[in-house]
Amino acid sequence: MKKIRRAAACLLASVLLAATLSGCGGSGRVLKVYNAGEYIDKSLINEFERKYDCTVIYETFDSNESMYTKLMSGEEYDILIPSDYMIERLIREDYLQPINWDLLTNAGNLMDSVMENAAYDEEHIYTVPYFWGTVGIIYDTTIVNEADLSQGWNLLRNTDYAGEIYMYDSERDSFMVALKALGYSMNTTDTAQLEEAYDWLVAQRDAMEPVYVGDDVIDNMISGNKAMAVVYSGDAAYMITENRNLNYFTPEEGTNIWYDCMVITKNCTDTELAHQFINFMLEDENALKNSEAVGYSSPVESAFEEMRETVYEGISAYEPRFGHPSDEVFGYQETELKKYLADLWTKVTAY
Amino acid sequence: MRHFKSLIRPYLVWSFLLIIIPLLLIVLYSVTTGGNSLLNIQFTLDNFKKIADPIYRQVFLRSLKIGLITTLICLLLGYTLAYVISGFRERTQTTLILFVTIPMWINTLLRTYAWISLLSDNGVINSFLSRLGIGRMSIMYTDFAVILGMVCDLLPFMVIPIHTALAKMDKSLIEASYDLGANRRQTFWKVTFKLSIPGVINGLTMVFLLSISTFVIPKLLGGGQYVLIGNLIEKQFISVGDWNFGSAISLILAVAILIMIWATKKIDTSEGGER
Repeated sequence: MKKIRRAAACLLASVLLAATLSGCGGSGRVLKVYNAGEYIDKSLINEFERKYDCTVIYETFDSNESMYTKLMSGEEYDILIPSDYMIERLIREDYLQPINWDLLTNAGNLMDSVMENAAYDEEHIYTVPYFWGTVGIIYDTTIVNEADLSQGWNLLRNTDYAGEIYMYDSERDSFMVALKALGYSMNTTDTAQLEEAYDWLVAQRDAMEPVYVGDDVIDNMISGNKAMAVVYSGDAAYMITENRNLNYFTPEEGTNIWYDCMVITKNCTDTELAHQFINFMLEDENALKNSEAVGYSSPVESAFEEMRETVYEGISAYEPRFGHPSDEVFGYQETELKKYLADLWTKVTAY
Repeated sequence: MRHFKSLIRPYLVWSFLLIIIPLLLIVLYSVTTGGNSLLNIQFTLDNFKKIADPIYRQVFLRSLKIGLITTLICLLLGYTLAYVISGFRERTQTTLILFVTIPMWINTLLRTYAWISLLSDNGVINSFLSRLGIGRMSIMYTDFAVILGMVCDLLPFMVIPIHTALAKMDKSLIEASYDLGANRRQTFWKVTFKLSIPGVINGLTMVFLLSISTFVIPKLLGGGQYVLIGNLIEKQFISVGDWNFGSAISLILAVAILIMIWATKKIDTSEGGER
């Protein structure tokens, strides 16, 4: 018995020691950041920790929905970086606290056009843009005939390319494609239009046999496995730098224009540090570094301009189009509608 | 020895907290609506009615099919492997079994990613084939890719119990069988195989349970159009956020698995009785 007790004491002591050691990384200030995977230049985090003498606990999610599920299960973070429609949900459900713009000395670096086009939070009370872009089609110029591009989204139903297509395995993005192809708003709540979009997707599935993928689309397109894919502009920009045979276009029927923003949660106690983090990411130099590492378009003007002229010169995907009348931002969806779409999507994929 | 009994107590509390309570929560979620918070719940059976939809029945049937095929292939390969291994000297056997388990030291996800780079359209296998002049084949995102991935992942779970059963078998029984005039085939089926049945049943149950509820391998090697029960459950919890429906599917899967375990136990004991 004595031996066991001694062993237990040793174990307890070492656990306590490890806990204190990991805790004294700085003055004890801790910032918990929750971001999408592969969506930051990690060296910036270390730099921030050194500059402000604090510890950043950095965690990643693979979709806005899984981030929301984790928040619902009671996990707490200081800063989140979700997309527009999810931010709208978080605002409605009272999860966020207002940004104190006076603390953000670098706020002037942000592009006016990005700041003005913000249906998810008109006055930017809760949100500071992080990256932005569109959704479009990336295609292999050696296989796809450029003349066919005029078909817009219906290119994805051109049987010349049957078996040559990747679609996103997400009801939100796929229904956007179908609704836009049919000329409807992607934020429609009209079930007749949604049924029609469902039929479009089923017909596409049967005729084209697309493969429904997630982030694996990036590697697949770079190694030239299929001719085209529906992708986000920032991923497209990265893919094109890796494989110069690829090109990106956004169909004329309109597309999803999206914004990912930094927000501060209600649970955040050290709001000063949180604002310092946001301000740090808006610094010209840091925004440039971040955009270069990730490939997405920066909302910081100087970084955006410089990237456009250097690394991503001539790559249209880095320069998402602005002001097209049919482009839309995703809006908040009622839970019932979300479930309805999820059911339809299961029926499309699990035939 | 009696005072050691009290050592069990923390474990009981622990398993109650981490196993029983979550299970009860799944049951509660499956018969209610009202989303993730348990504050405003209403009892309903709609979640179970929804599963009767043909599309979900199809998902169940497909999972069952893939599970059975995987288990069968694992049995054939695993038995042969275990049989061959058990024929070696004892020290060699230990090394060989070690080789069987080495892949398990590496994370499933990594192994599956390795398969992707082997199987993809411009991957290792296809570039090799095209160099030989045979031409490329589309292997990724097919039944073949998924089953291949699952068999490779689950094979050790079949080999180890069968090998254990074969290794502890009394070799003099085989000699006795030959002495009594049985040929090799008769000896194998009537003596060796019969004595290894408990190991086979253990292996079958483990591989089948794991293959029917997996979701990582079909997602990565089969693509998004490859929806099995595991994927359906994952989707309900992670992306749709419909925990109630997700719990209902999980519960049905759990009940189905319980029935299957009970049935195999029955077979096991009746076989044992015969002996």
